[in-house]
Amino acid sequence: MKNIIIGQYIPGSGFLYKLDPRTKIISVIVLMVAVFLLKSIVQLSIAMGLAILILIAGKISIIRIFRGLKPIFVLLIFTFVFQIFFNKEGALWVDETMTIGFVSITSMVLWTIIWRMLAKFKKFKMILFILYIGGLYLIMKYITYGTIFTTWQFLVYEKGVEMSFFVVIRLLIIITLSTVLTLTTKPTDLTQGIEKLMRPLKVIGISSEDFALIISISLRYIPTILDEANKIMLAQASRGADFAEGKLKDKIKQIISLLVPMFIIAFKRSEDLADAMESRNFVPGRERTRIHDLKLGRLDLLTGLATVLLLAGSILVRIYL
Amino acid sequence: MGIQFKQVNFSYTGMQKGYYEAIKDISLSIESKNEFITLVGQTGSGKSTLAQHMNALVFPTSGTLEIFGKKVTSKRDRHIKYNDIRQKVGLVFQFPEYQLFEETVEKDIMFGPLNFHKTEEEAKVLAKKALQMVGLNDNYLNRNPFNLSGGEKKRVSIAGILALDPEVLVLDEPTSGLDPKGKRQLMDLFKSIQEETGKSIIVITHDMDLVYEYAKRVLVLDKGNLVFDGSPEVLFRMNDLSKFHLDYPQTIRVLKGINERFNLSIDIYQKTVHDATAAIKRGLNS
Repeated sequence: MKNIIIGQYIPGSGFLYKLDPRTKIISVIVLMVAVFLLKSIVQLSIAMGLAILILIAGKISIIRIFRGLKPIFVLLIFTFVFQIFFNKEGALWVDETMTIGFVSITSMVLWTIIWRMLAKFKKFKMILFILYIGGLYLIMKYITYGTIFTTWQFLVYEKGVEMSFFVVIRLLIIITLSTVLTLTTKPTDLTQGIEKLMRPLKVIGISSEDFALIISISLRYIPTILDEANKIMLAQASRGADFAEGKLKDKIKQIISLLVPMFIIAFKRSEDLADAMESRNFVPGRERTRIHDLKLGRLDLLTGLATVLLLAGSILVRIYL
Repeated sequence: MGIQFKQVNFSYTGMQKGYYEAIKDISLSIESKNEFITLVGQTGSGKSTLAQHMNALVFPTSGTLEIFGKKVTSKRDRHIKYNDIRQKVGLVFQFPEYQLFEETVEKDIMFGPLNFHKTEEEAKVLAKKALQMVGLNDNYLNRNPFNLSGGEKKRVSIAGILALDPEVLVLDEPTSGLDPKGKRQLMDLFKSIQEETGKSIIVITHDMDLVYEYAKRVLVLDKGNLVFDGSPEVLFRMNDLSKFHLDYPQTIRVLKGINERFNLSIDIYQKTVHDATAAIKRGLNS
């Protein structure tokens, strides 16, 4: 839980922190569009380089972002594998006959057990995983003795490899950009930015203030609710409902014992919050003033210009290359 | 047997500041029978964290903890069923809202025993008994726990733990948010449970009057360190309690004031109002 940094603000001092949230939101959206306009791996690699440059310029530790990406690795690996297996365009690169037989299944099971036993060396988790996948491949390719149940063709096409890298790099860029936005912008600033940007929607009857209020209240209460959930889990664990032990049948009851108090506490908290807001003279729909009003500065102008240039660049690349 | 802490440390890890040491180098031993301990200390001194160690809800960052013969260290041991520890050491949380969830009081109290593989009938009997122990009659069995008053909720949540029939009972600020009469009733209740069943009871509280009147042994935590372990008589005879961020009980303060104001020499160490008035009478007569 503690390593998830997507959507979390970490105080710092780089130039990204000084930018107006509106500039950041629009720039991130525009840059994402620009990334989607790119067509080849080379172009994307350049874009990735630029993204890393932004991180360096903003004094954000790359390792930190990388660590925060951990929960998304599964998604990235899945996308990668999916593309390799199912994209059948371009020249054929690899064509192997894979065997699934009694002996190979046994060795695969053994290999899995060895891998899981080694899994306690957490430092080499990634290397072990790659070794494991490689091992599975070798087993299926070379162990052809004994009873053979079936065989299948392992086909890899040029486009498949290219697309898999392409999609993964694109995802990485997009995640990095949005992480930079939330990492360097206070939730309150972010909602204020969104509110200001959505102002024009008033014409079609959407109140941007209400919307911003909803977002900021939910963001504010995520840690509180998590904290409460943790306490409830401990309280129920003390009555013998340990969420780490127990059978599936017991688990259902345990989840109910967590959810009911959660709902009750959440409702009670929202009532309290409503009272607290009212006692501080909050009137829904009434105009509110701010302590810190957003102001666009020179830095915002420069960032905006750079963003527009990047977008123009990618449009040109799209048309002429 | 009982609970033994050996140089137990616990730190919370956070995003920005690294970590925060909640309890430091705690070594102490709690018997499984006949203890009546109060655990006191300033807010944030680590009382609740210490209490949560006692039934293995949290694991020490370093050091070892032995609870009824089971070793608890920083790593979860797959051979130990931590759930069983919780049947031996029952922990009641400060806010009953964290644990009540069923539609009737009876079902809610039965939740614990059922988790420890009691049959439906056994659990019903235990629920009834536990409810009587906390001083609520059978009419409450079919009531909705969410429609009860704060004090009643608290009693029901205590009954929910008592129904497990634990050997050691740990209560995290059971008296907070109650009126003075309710506080005393609850403390009397713990005292009678302790005397009747011989279970060890550990109560976290901020109320020095209750500590002085009820406790046989006091543990004082200050910024995560165990700074005092002994009887309340010894603790309140110490000269400077403010170094522990504690105060003296009302009886001692009032009697001390009377002594100074009227130049008397009444024995100021009286535990109850009754004893204090008797001492004043004696002081005036002599």
